[in-house]
Amino acid sequence: MDVFNLFLSLVPVTLAQSLILSFVVLAVMIPFRILSFPDLTSEGSYPLGGCVCAVALLAGIPPLLALALAAAAGFLAGVVTAVIHLRFRIHTLLAGILVTTMLYSINLRVMGKANLPIFGEAKIYDFFPFDLGSINYTKIIIAGLFALLVFVMLNLWFRTERGIAMRAVGSNPDMSEAQGISVWKATIGGVGMAGAFAAIGGGLMVQSQGFSDANMGLGILINALAALMIGEALVGKQTITRQLAAPFVGAFAYYQLISLCLAAGLPPSDLKIATGVFVLLMLAGPELRRAKGPRAAQEAFRE
Amino acid sequence: MTEHALNVIAARKTFFPGTADEKIALNDLSLSLAAGDFGIIIGSNGAGKSTMLNAISGALPLDSGQVLINGQDVTRTSVDRRAKHVARVFQDPMKGTAASMTIAENMLLAEMRQSPATLHKGLTKARRDRYRDLLAQLHLGLEDRLETQVSLLSGGQRQSLSLVMAVSGEPDLLLLDEHTAALDPRTAAIVLDATMRAVEALKLTTLMVTHNMQHAIDYGTRIIMLDAGRVKSDISGAAKAKCTVQSLVDQFAHKSDHMLLGA
Repeated sequence: MDVFNLFLSLVPVTLAQSLILSFVVLAVMIPFRILSFPDLTSEGSYPLGGCVCAVALLAGIPPLLALALAAAAGFLAGVVTAVIHLRFRIHTLLAGILVTTMLYSINLRVMGKANLPIFGEAKIYDFFPFDLGSINYTKIIIAGLFALLVFVMLNLWFRTERGIAMRAVGSNPDMSEAQGISVWKATIGGVGMAGAFAAIGGGLMVQSQGFSDANMGLGILINALAALMIGEALVGKQTITRQLAAPFVGAFAYYQLISLCLAAGLPPSDLKIATGVFVLLMLAGPELRRAKGPRAAQEAFRE
Repeated sequence: MTEHALNVIAARKTFFPGTADEKIALNDLSLSLAAGDFGIIIGSNGAGKSTMLNAISGALPLDSGQVLINGQDVTRTSVDRRAKHVARVFQDPMKGTAASMTIAENMLLAEMRQSPATLHKGLTKARRDRYRDLLAQLHLGLEDRLETQVSLLSGGQRQSLSLVMAVSGEPDLLLLDEHTAALDPRTAAIVLDATMRAVEALKLTTLMVTHNMQHAIDYGTRIIMLDAGRVKSDISGAAKAKCTVQSLVDQFAHKSDHMLLGA
């Protein structure tokens, strides 16, 4: 019973966290699922967003604008990864690792030191006019509104002609090109968009925790991947709406699972292995279920 | 020069230059099509048929030479910018469609060849209605499956869809790269029949690669035989009407081809 009560008491915190993480999950999902461009850049663009946001806040820039600056920086990081792949034919994963590695130094440069507290600055969460008794509820509402807005906007975008063209590039790049769609533009736009979302996640997190840290991205990618896998297992990915809902549902479910592990007494240092096991289970599950049937067709990714 | 729908002028392409594997795929190949011409391309494996289509579509840059479409030099124009003029159906049904997207979405992609993508809603009611009408002409029931993912279609259905997509928007040039070769005979006949009806109705300037000599005789206005990266013969009019499978096969350079095709 203690475990359950502890779990319940953690829900407001984990809900706020998961809404913020859902942006990073989006940043993993969009290149991976929509552009067939498996990308690791979010491990670097998430802290980049955090660092830019913190520095901007300290410079007296209003929180919303600071978040926009973070998004712009993240977009740029994504663009760099995309161009490295497109221009030099370097594998997407390696391109992402290169950019992430370089971003670590850039993040330190941006901040000037490894850790930047912003406790005294105005935050995006301060704009909520009502006192709900706990800052966590305010965070849930603000981050939730952002998430809802992004979800609705993306649903609209991927139904426009350009959005459909972007999806086509992920589905069949050669065919898309033959239909007059620029693979370069779609890839740069999509991976850039993903970088912007990861950076917004970083910006929201920094404003939530009150400090920015050069190491805040460490392991965020595998958390996001775990969340995506869980989300896709729960809501599927057959339609674009489901595919777009998966990151949000997955982020929520993932943090509840982690919180359950903590409530059950798992030391925080063991969370990484728990996360790894979640990912493995989600990836291995369909394969095990199919073990007796014919092998599923391998998905084709760009190299 | 009178304005042609297509001019390929002294096109040259060498693969693996400077190595032991060096191969001249296009050896100063020249070819012109007048508007409305329907050229059937035949030739043995390695004669340069696919390379030529790739050069025309822009998928493969030429080492030297020129490609003109409607008199306009497109030699240095990328595939996506040539798409306004050129539509193509590949041998592999998987290549011409976006598998993870629906039939309606694929039809919309084809429409983008003529009008670049905008921020407007993609699949409007008007478009769905139009796609339904276009697909109904195939008599494959695809018109009732607009929201079906293309990956769930059979090879023949996918190829039929590719064809409808290619001829929609009436391209200046239609390239058919052995587009019925991967299909079973019955489906191949359906796709070929749909092709001929579309080409005829829309008076499309067309190039079709085939290994089927009977098709070369039955269809098209010209038989263009390639050999070693050049046009070896170009038969049209009365001469084309007199062609037989044997007379065509006899022109093939290699003995192995005689045996294969004559059988």
